[in-house]
Amino acid sequence: MRAFFILFTKELRSFFLSPLAWIVMALFTFLNGWLFAGMINAMRLRVSSRSLVYNLFDSGWFWMGFFILFPLITMRLFAEERKMGTIEGLLTAPVRTAEVILAKYFATVVVYLVIVMPLFFFFPLFQWITGEQAAFQAGALWGTALGLLLVGIFHVAIGTLASALTANQLIAAMLTFVFVMLHYFLGFMERFGLVSGSTWGEGLSYFSTIEHMHSLTEGLIDSRPIVYYISFAAVLLTITHHVLESRKWRT
Amino acid sequence: MIQVNHLTKRYAGRTAVDSISFDVEKGEIVGFLGPNGAGKSTTLRILTCFLSASEGTASVAGYDIYEDSIKVRQHVGYMPENVPLYPDMRVKEYLQFRGRIKGLRYRDSLRAVNEAMDICSLSEVDHKIIATLSKGYKQRVGLADALVNKPDLLILDEPTNGLDPNQIRQSRELIKRLGERHTILISTHILSEVEMTCGRVVIIDQGRIRACDTPQNLIRRLRRPGEIMLEMQGDGDKAAEKIGKLEGVKSVKKTETGNRWVTLSIHTDPNIDAREDIFGLVTEAGWKIRELASRAASLEDAFVDIVQRPSGAKIKEEADA
Repeated sequence: MRAFFILFTKELRSFFLSPLAWIVMALFTFLNGWLFAGMINAMRLRVSSRSLVYNLFDSGWFWMGFFILFPLITMRLFAEERKMGTIEGLLTAPVRTAEVILAKYFATVVVYLVIVMPLFFFFPLFQWITGEQAAFQAGALWGTALGLLLVGIFHVAIGTLASALTANQLIAAMLTFVFVMLHYFLGFMERFGLVSGSTWGEGLSYFSTIEHMHSLTEGLIDSRPIVYYISFAAVLLTITHHVLESRKWRT
Repeated sequence: MIQVNHLTKRYAGRTAVDSISFDVEKGEIVGFLGPNGAGKSTTLRILTCFLSASEGTASVAGYDIYEDSIKVRQHVGYMPENVPLYPDMRVKEYLQFRGRIKGLRYRDSLRAVNEAMDICSLSEVDHKIIATLSKGYKQRVGLADALVNKPDLLILDEPTNGLDPNQIRQSRELIKRLGERHTILISTHILSEVEMTCGRVVIIDQGRIRACDTPQNLIRRLRRPGEIMLEMQGDGDKAAEKIGKLEGVKSVKKTETGNRWVTLSIHTDPNIDAREDIFGLVTEAGWKIRELASRAASLEDAFVDIVQRPSGAKIKEEADA
């Protein structure tokens, strides 16, 4: 546990001492601010039966940013250490591999949360500037916050695994990109007509991030996505552990 | 301090380390010597629990490398080949981080880092970013990292690789000094380094141990005639004939004839020093001597001799025979 906190702090420090975290945060906030403004404008022009929060997180534009965000913040985790050889010093220190993985993983989840946090300032900021009530309820925001936390927990685990698989950061980034995107589009298989029949369609909708977000952005907290994302993240981190331990036996 | 028992490491289709066994006693400085690709780094990585062996066992500081991997790592300071460091950290910050993950408490780590920086003469660069340091400094940061938590055993993988001659000399002095407090296993292919610092040498080639002894013994065992150079003034042919009859002299060759000076190259039995006899003979005949020197066999000769032997033959067995 002691080693975990030391590694966790070190990881956070190196994130925020490098320009990468700040650039990603600035661009991501800019992108979403632009999207937020666009969404308000769209809702002004066209009447929508859904809330602002629902519409914002339903839009593909919002998730586009995520496809790039996760590869960027996870690619260096293990790939960089392997490339530089520092993994040798790290894993020959008296620390457990699990501690190293969890420290890097949770530090990245924290970084992710810091990056998406400005999103939640948009809503009060909008009200403060315009003096108008935006079309949503407080419960929707809490549901969204939970949704984004779960999405982060899951996708950072994907990125952690991808980064442990290779010494090349670019390959790690591309792997994460493809898997984050694939997972997102699982929810669209039925809409695209790629699968038919209610069994498949319904089955896949359990994996669909966008479906989860639909209920959460309406303030409906369902325990199924909570269990789904957390347990899958645990599975992915367990695989990461096996990948890192297997290096001992491989060439 | 280290017991290695029939350790074997196979990579896909290749045996990197082939059933090696050796011991290192507490307080020793042992050189782990071999050509590139001989299996040195692989062995050291197994001993530091970075890799697993395919077969065999080893214990370090009294702990089994499989059963008590964490305990082993607590007692070993390891400096990997090419000294990987985090380039974006500052020297002091890095050493403190390393000290902390090696189990030092915050307050102890401050003192330990200062001590390690003193030993490795890093105090003047303590706030520099590692990426901006020269190779020699980086090497010393790696060394300070290895010894920051005062481990019983230091395992250094090619610690002088890539340094200039002056830095090599400094780091040799440093390693010698460290040997007073730590047991050291040091891998290298620089022979002079081993000859000067190590009490014992393990020579490994193609994954097998080819010799294991003190540098002096290895040289003594070397089956190679001693060579004496004689530069004299007088009748070269007559001298060569006379010297050839001396005890222990195997052959005499006239190598160079200047206007009045003759150079003779004399091969003798390695256990016999024929220089006194030669001196007596030459002065008795009334000739003049300008140089009389024996070219001693070095560890380099021993190393080349051992490594170039057909594999499987051990120098020890030959010496016993």
